[in-house]
Amino acid sequence: MLESILTPSFFSSVLRAATPILYATLASGVASKAGITNMALEGIMLFSALFGVIFSSLTQSALIGLLLTILCGALLGMFLAFFVLNLKTDEILAAIAINLMATGGTVLILLAFSGDRGVSSSVQSVATPTVTIPIIKDIPFIGEVLSGQNVLTWLSLLAVVVMHLLLYKTPLGLNIRSVGENKNAAESVGINSRRVQYIALILSGALTSIGGFFLSGGYMNSFTKDMSSGRGFIALAAASMGGNTPIGGFLVSLLFGFAQALANIMQLKSFLSYEFVLMVPYLTTLIGLGIYYYSQKKKRERLSGK
Amino acid sequence: MKKKMLAITLTASMLMGLGVAAVPVYAEDDGEPYKAALLLNGTLGDKSFFDSANEGLTALQEELGEDVFTFKVEQMGATSADESNWEPTLYDYCDDGSYDVIICGTYQMLDALINASTDYPDQKFIYFDEAFDFSAGGENVYNVMYKENEVSYLVGAAAALMTIDEDLEKVDPSNSIIGFLGGMENSVIKDFLIGYVEGALAVNEDIQVAIAYVGDFYDSASGKDLALAQYQNGVDVGFNVAGSAGLGQIEAAGDADKYAFGVDSDQAALLPDYAEYIPTSALKNVGNSLIRAIKLDMEDELEYGVLEYLGLAEDGVDLVEDEHYEEIVPEDIREVVADLKQQIIDGDIVVDTTLGDNAISTEDFDAIIESVQLK
Repeated sequence: MLESILTPSFFSSVLRAATPILYATLASGVASKAGITNMALEGIMLFSALFGVIFSSLTQSALIGLLLTILCGALLGMFLAFFVLNLKTDEILAAIAINLMATGGTVLILLAFSGDRGVSSSVQSVATPTVTIPIIKDIPFIGEVLSGQNVLTWLSLLAVVVMHLLLYKTPLGLNIRSVGENKNAAESVGINSRRVQYIALILSGALTSIGGFFLSGGYMNSFTKDMSSGRGFIALAAASMGGNTPIGGFLVSLLFGFAQALANIMQLKSFLSYEFVLMVPYLTTLIGLGIYYYSQKKKRERLSGK
Repeated sequence: MKKKMLAITLTASMLMGLGVAAVPVYAEDDGEPYKAALLLNGTLGDKSFFDSANEGLTALQEELGEDVFTFKVEQMGATSADESNWEPTLYDYCDDGSYDVIICGTYQMLDALINASTDYPDQKFIYFDEAFDFSAGGENVYNVMYKENEVSYLVGAAAALMTIDEDLEKVDPSNSIIGFLGGMENSVIKDFLIGYVEGALAVNEDIQVAIAYVGDFYDSASGKDLALAQYQNGVDVGFNVAGSAGLGQIEAAGDADKYAFGVDSDQAALLPDYAEYIPTSALKNVGNSLIRAIKLDMEDELEYGVLEYLGLAEDGVDLVEDEHYEEIVPEDIREVVADLKQQIIDGDIVVDTTLGDNAISTEDFDAIIESVQLK
């Protein structure tokens, strides 16, 4: 068991499993910072997984496919924002609608586009390239873990930094956070809260769509029905566990990726029954959430002097 | 007055409805062609068993001619919005009364068929790919299921031989580990697994099997990760029985430059980009089973009210044995597989099953699996 874990291939699968979750976690984080729970991550991710295959096979370019998919993800984020902010729909209900639409809609679009249902066997996405960085490659072990990772995995690490800078070092980030903290107070000092929340949700949609694109164009090279399979919801939990901050979300995503890869090894070595093993990633998330909220509660109690 | 009229009309129409249901429907036997209706709770183009059913009936029509056999396909759609139409459509066809037999399949049609077969005791039905509940009647239903265990026995034998073959480039012959990727641990998947394991044991006593379950039938990315973990830990040949999640194993085989056997449809033909990693696929021949049933029925020899399992001997399941298979799998292995197939057909080998009345006990199943599981 242990010798299977302490291998570069194990840690590289941790990163692979963490990548789509990480994008969605960052997405959930920025929306939450602006005061909106973006529960539509799951649906946006599923749509993006399909669009990724369609666009990259149409254009025969992974890059253009990715850009078009991000555009679609941003539009879906805007769609959610329109319902929530302009039409005053309940944000959870609007998100459920998007998620349901994704389940049926993706199959319908796939059928119309390729005649396939369930599996895009007649259209293949153009695989995104893997990246090997020369100097890092020569570090023993770590080099093996990192080299050959998908370019989108590298990009996700970059996205953590960018999102951190955006939220904490720019005026826009300050606006987003202040709208999320107290909308009325923010408006009283002249911040257009609707505009800020629109931007946050569009950003959220765009980030999620990269995660979805990775599923069908990095992880796999084709789309299969319902392939997001709950990753959007896990990201929601992961973001909240990471305090909705990019760095926290990154660590929690890694934890989840680790649990997922560990579960795979546990199955391989027939360690415990498989029903239990399949629970491991979710159990880890749940326990982590429990610990996080307990520590938050303690902290609050300490601060309020009880 | 208006209300009264409405009440009378409604009552009359309800009574008429009753009358229609009660009138016995006899299939005409007056030189008219044998008519079949194929009701699909989905649409054609699934590249799996709905297409197989349609192809079977088309082949039968070409063979016998339209004046002897005709059929109609009704594509009812698979979405939840279509679902409410399945039962009424089935009743429409029963009402029509001109069909000698109405064919439908899958567990989703079970409740509708139980109702229809009770309301129309003289209409004949063929029901495939799920066990019919005969406790409620169903003397007019012929039920066919498939012996997945027999075909996966052949896959297991081929996999166990391939993994130690020294001439195959994609294989490391030093260990004998093969892989199995299931969707969930249910009785059909277990039936596949037990056949696979027993087939592998039959040709290689030292075989070890890495078994993994995705937990659903659609998370292809997880399927790929699981399969990659298998391939990285010594598995050379795998077998996917996990619906669309199984595609993950095939892609993993591509990435790791190993083999993965296909299932349900000819996946090598379906996924040309990955064909070189798919030696062959285990098939359920729904079409063949329908041809067989209808031919028997034309001679009044089809026994209704029973569940029949069709295996290799009846062409209910089969291995794709085409040029592609010959190209990838070495001849000596193909000969062993062909020999095992013949022995199963002749009844010299009986493969354990987890389905039906002859199912092996859970303890025996666990013991067999335990003995080969990768530690």
